[in-house]
Amino acid sequence: MILGDLGAQVIKVERPGAGDDTRAWGPPFVASESTYFLSVNRNKKSIAVDLKHPRGAQIVQQLAGVCDVLLENYVPGKLRHMGLGYEQLSGLNPRLIYCSITGYGQTGPHAQSPGYDSIASAVSGMMHITGPEGGDPVRPGVAMTDLATGLYAHGAVMAALLQRQKTGRGVHIDCNLLSSQVSCLSHIAANYLNAGKEARRWGTAHESIVPYQGFKTKDGHIVVAAGNEKQFVRVCQVMELMELTEDPKYKTNKLRVENRKQLLHTLSQRFLQETTADWLKKFKGSGVPIGPINSIQEVFSEPQFWKNSWENTLISVPGPAVRFSSFSPSGPTPPPLIGQHTVEVLRDVLSYSDDIIETLLESKAVVQNKVS
Amino acid sequence: MSACVGVLKRRLGALCPAGFASPLQPLRCPGGGRWESSTQTGETLRPLEGVRVLDLTRVLAGPFASMILGDLGAQVIKVERPGAGDDTRAWGPPFVASESTYFLSVNRNKKSIAVDLKHPRGAQIVQQLAGVCDVLLENYVPGKLRHMGLGYEQLSGLNPRLIYCSITGYGQTGPHAQSPGYDSIASAVSGMMHITGPEGGDPVRPGVAMTDLATGLYAHGAVMAALLQRQKTGRGVHIDCNLLSSQVSCLSHIAANYLNAGKEARRWGTAHESIVPYQGFKTKDGHIVVAAGNEKQFVRVCQVMELMELTEDPKYKTNKLRVENRKQLLHTLSQRFLQETTADWLKKFKGSGVPIGPINSIQEVFSEPQVKHNRLVQEMNHPTAGRIAVIGPAVRFSSFSPSGPTPPPLIGQHTVEVLRDVLSYSDDIIETLLESKAVVQNKVS
Repeated sequence: MILGDLGAQVIKVERPGAGDDTRAWGPPFVASESTYFLSVNRNKKSIAVDLKHPRGAQIVQQLAGVCDVLLENYVPGKLRHMGLGYEQLSGLNPRLIYCSITGYGQTGPHAQSPGYDSIASAVSGMMHITGPEGGDPVRPGVAMTDLATGLYAHGAVMAALLQRQKTGRGVHIDCNLLSSQVSCLSHIAANYLNAGKEARRWGTAHESIVPYQGFKTKDGHIVVAAGNEKQFVRVCQVMELMELTEDPKYKTNKLRVENRKQLLHTLSQRFLQETTADWLKKFKGSGVPIGPINSIQEVFSEPQFWKNSWENTLISVPGPAVRFSSFSPSGPTPPPLIGQHTVEVLRDVLSYSDDIIETLLESKAVVQNKVS
Repeated sequence: MSACVGVLKRRLGALCPAGFASPLQPLRCPGGGRWESSTQTGETLRPLEGVRVLDLTRVLAGPFASMILGDLGAQVIKVERPGAGDDTRAWGPPFVASESTYFLSVNRNKKSIAVDLKHPRGAQIVQQLAGVCDVLLENYVPGKLRHMGLGYEQLSGLNPRLIYCSITGYGQTGPHAQSPGYDSIASAVSGMMHITGPEGGDPVRPGVAMTDLATGLYAHGAVMAALLQRQKTGRGVHIDCNLLSSQVSCLSHIAANYLNAGKEARRWGTAHESIVPYQGFKTKDGHIVVAAGNEKQFVRVCQVMELMELTEDPKYKTNKLRVENRKQLLHTLSQRFLQETTADWLKKFKGSGVPIGPINSIQEVFSEPQVKHNRLVQEMNHPTAGRIAVIGPAVRFSSFSPSGPTPPPLIGQHTVEVLRDVLSYSDDIIETLLESKAVVQNKVS
């Protein structure tokens, strides 16, 4: 999707019938399409091809011959079995950039395990470090492991395009959920690898900075990030708790970390006394980083978000996250129906004649949606 | 570094006394399309060899992005303020010698120059570097760099090919544009915290700064997209990456549910709203996650757990029914999972085709055979910290291997080297700059 946002022509190959599983992942649905599918499939054409049909696999081979990039997320070996593996397709098209996305990698003891965000999140340590202090692990509320892997992949594809300009050749790229999430452990991993320090769950809090966390308010939650002495004093001013600034136990961040339980208790009690909106008002202009824990409805009421966002006319999805001064993200095409562009792609990209297209449709190697 | 421009600058250097801003536009050598770094050419060429990145970012999102660009072969020059440098150098314990593990984890493959941007000569050096770099990365509050003569309009005036990537909390303009970006707060404001936490419990944040990291990942891709675009247009671009947009974009279907169906999201612990069983369970000695996404897998789960009666129960026949009757089903499964250890469950489920995995502690992560197989741990020698280990690149390319990283630099370790080799300053001028404290060189180089 991101590559499509950046101008690439994306041809999405789906199996006839159900297509991408997520089309059915609802409620909610908007007409026949799940919001899940709609959220990540704009700017793509869909062709419905039966890869198990020899003519179907052949069409994909031919498309690979005229494409720059192939993205796939099959368990390693499956596509090779159909004649669509990296070695086979790069033999036909040495310039092909073949990006494989899996759960664990192309080789190794778990390479044959299908990739699920929940499980990769567990195995990679992400769940272990997420959850309430003293409570059970939880997963991030959206599949951040999947998303991080997709983000790594979109960059890798462009790196490969840049490399191809020098070498004239494509490459096989190995992206996987496990490696992506472990890489994102960054300092948590470095703490263990270099100092043997195990990580634990901290709720909304920060291990080494106090106060730097969420607090319950009268009607919700708010997050305060007072990263240094000056900000701590401001916090005390705004909250009318100036006596805290006199207390030797809280003079420096190091001391506040040591005496966190008591300090956080005092602050928590005080935060409970006002609403989130009132606290935001009081803290405005204080220079202390602060923000509400927004529900999804509140996110889309945030004035800053509307400045950044963009929507389709009939359906709404969050648009591209990144803006470029050289072009604006105008005119997205909507997520396609299953097989909406099968005939169009065969005709325009592979230059098939109408007769051959007719034969293929009859053979059921490919399927065209009644909507095109 | 191209010799011809070096000569030109040295001649100009002789004509221009120190302190005079060189009007020199960066020239391309005849026959050369880009600055070539002094590294190798040939088959092990990495994708970004020859690309030079001027990195003014600090903390996590920016350094994470520039680190990946460095992994891909770019030359990264990290600009730090003299003295403390990047704040994260001090973010510990833990430390390894003088360096925090935090800093070490995201700063390999970069050179550090210590420059006082508030000193006129300091800002000038950064301007000149921007003239000979392909990419500039920064994460200042909008307007701050412009105030120092280092804003996008100013620098692209000097170097129209410059790709200028800004990373902020909320964006370059708008009601919150002046608020500094903190992962915790962006995570809260963007809805991420609202959807993370135990069912019926309070919101929590992801245990590592995923908002920062997602933004860094968006940025690394955007920089390469801009490099691709520049090949057609010959011009650079200003890129706006920010924590809020990155995290809201990552809400994907959660956001689409709300925008199209008015459906608010809530916290589910480890569970999935629309698939049962698809979550973590406590075992005798830890936690395990099972992802039984369809009927066949549910039956397998019941087989392995010796709970075949569940497959007969009409209440659990389809996923839809299991979702409707989740409380009771999950209670039954939870009780059963408690009876064995994680290791025993993994053994029992092996070969069943049911996706399953342990909730690993960090120590357990690094004992995972697949983690070892993927060679994710990269070791290297650091000048003062000795042998250090960090997580290496997540993505593998068949065309090159991620060998030979350079260790995270000490503050100002490469100041003189960069002034001499990249800007072709003479030793005299470098000496003057060091004395003026516009720049600082670490005693280790």
